[in-house]
Amino acid sequence: MDTFILIGITGIGLGALYFLIASGLSLIYGLMGVLNFAHGSFLTVGAFVGFWIASKTGFETSMPEFILAMIVGGLAAGLFALLIEQLLITRLYDRHIDQALVTVGVALVVGAVLGGWFGNDLRMFPAPMWFLTAIDIGGAKIPADRVVYIATAVLLLVGNWALLKFTRIGLIIRAGVENRNMVNALGINVRRAFSTVFFLGGFAAGVGGVLVSVYSNGVSPLIAGTYLIYGFIVVVIGGMGSVPGSFLAAMMIGVIRQFANYYATGLGDFVVVILLAVVLLIRPQGLLGKVRA
Amino acid sequence: MLRWKYSRPLLVLFVSLLALAPLLGSNPLSQPGFQQTMAVAFIWGGLALTYDLLFGFTGLLSFGHALYFATGVYVTCILINHEVVVWWLAALISIAVSAILALLVGAASLRTTGITFAMVTLAFGEAGHVILQRNFFNLTGGENGIALNADLIPEFWISVANTKFIYWAALAALIFTYVVIWWVTESSAGRVFAALRDNELRVQVLGLNTQRFKLLSFVISAALAALLGAVMLIAAGSAAPRFADAGVTISLLLMVVLGGAVTRWGAVIGGIFYSVATTRMQDLTQQDAFKTIPKWIGGPIAEPAFVLGLLFIFVVMFAPGGLSGAYYRLRLRAITKKSQ
Repeated sequence: MDTFILIGITGIGLGALYFLIASGLSLIYGLMGVLNFAHGSFLTVGAFVGFWIASKTGFETSMPEFILAMIVGGLAAGLFALLIEQLLITRLYDRHIDQALVTVGVALVVGAVLGGWFGNDLRMFPAPMWFLTAIDIGGAKIPADRVVYIATAVLLLVGNWALLKFTRIGLIIRAGVENRNMVNALGINVRRAFSTVFFLGGFAAGVGGVLVSVYSNGVSPLIAGTYLIYGFIVVVIGGMGSVPGSFLAAMMIGVIRQFANYYATGLGDFVVVILLAVVLLIRPQGLLGKVRA
Repeated sequence: MLRWKYSRPLLVLFVSLLALAPLLGSNPLSQPGFQQTMAVAFIWGGLALTYDLLFGFTGLLSFGHALYFATGVYVTCILINHEVVVWWLAALISIAVSAILALLVGAASLRTTGITFAMVTLAFGEAGHVILQRNFFNLTGGENGIALNADLIPEFWISVANTKFIYWAALAALIFTYVVIWWVTESSAGRVFAALRDNELRVQVLGLNTQRFKLLSFVISAALAALLGAVMLIAAGSAAPRFADAGVTISLLLMVVLGGAVTRWGAVIGGIFYSVATTRMQDLTQQDAFKTIPKWIGGPIAEPAFVLGLLFIFVVMFAPGGLSGAYYRLRLRAITKKSQ
């Protein structure tokens, strides 16, 4: 039973990491129709900036310092995302394929720059020591860092929900995902909503980057690779433009992947792709996605 | 017409020169090292062309094309190493396997369109990549891949002195790919592909089964990619998971966009240029003069992805149509000037 709980919670922790990257991807796609291949580089930028802050404090960071690293990493990634949006994406207004292509270029250039500066080897991330302690949940010893991932993801989900539900810009974003042309026709500046979504998506990815570098024991320009792909899968399964859908799908995929990996060694990725195929065949719009008119 | 009247005879002449070069006295192409570089470049040129069929001609942005290339590499290698069939039959079987795989994956992923299709093909491609890295049934050799057993293939495929045969094989595979894709895109099915790209709804209204045509394009390009994969196996001497990496498909996208989509020759030139550029740039950055450049700028430049990525962004933003697009714009200007 305790192994069951351990695998389950580790899966949810992994799902939380997927959610951090997928939430931004999903909103950006839902609102603007941009398939953002640069999202992985937002994650990497956040991870490196977070690493820079955290390593100022030596081999070990206290929890407030770690939270500071997370926030600064997130902000840096958010600003970087904003820069990319203003500099490149807005100029290719409504040329969706070209927008996707430009983000591919951004991902390549960012990877090359970081690789050229820091090399592609993993650098140890100075995480708080208590991440290594185990928390007792139902007889299972859960590594403490998993709890941090889950808490961060839940916090971001709630924050996201509150923003979308209670603020004016949130209302514009929701309306824009629903029908962008109508919002435009009503004389509301949707561009501002675009920038907001890019910043928020970048922020979530940057925070995710710091956590991913803890999870994979260090930072390198290559850490984003599999998370971006899992982010895409989560977005497709959860439904484009639906943040709760992404959350649900991320948790589901994290848990299924961990269980499959445990009971059938190494089959986790394979099972996830089968799941993707099944969802596409039964519900092409995703779990909580709406059918586009 | 936009085509220059001498372009075809000149192309035939140039290709014959390329084919004969290893036999003519001393020139760069009589050296095994450069023959190898060009053989690999021809394979990439052909692959870029198969990607152009999908992306340029049919408007399908697939991010999982590497899967079919890797199928060609791996299936051929496994069949040869386990002495199942002779080498050329192994290559043929790998093409068939790849086509069947594309039929299955395509049938599922073509239920989606546009950007979702891109994500879904990416997921399938990555699944293939992961499976190859896992070494199931001890077939794929895990992360190290598998070396082709040199005793089981004819002698003319091995040893440095015989590199010219690999060169010819790659050139022949490129020409074959070019001819097949030329034939397909000029056929009536090719017209439907282009119509699907430009306005899918209208094709539907005309009563054609759009799914079936997309699937046809998907399968043809996968089969040709497997053929090039089989040639790549002989050129590289081993099958490795890097052939299935999503980075391969992204490189193909870069090649097609840099060279220019929908012109066929643009994709081929883009592929050859990209392949030669990445190998040559690595040589360049090994030189001493390069080491004097400060590291904060020299480091990124040493990565081929930096320069090519910037070039790519520039082409997408300011020069849509890439190299061949620019050429045709110039031709158009010259022709209109003449007619005035």
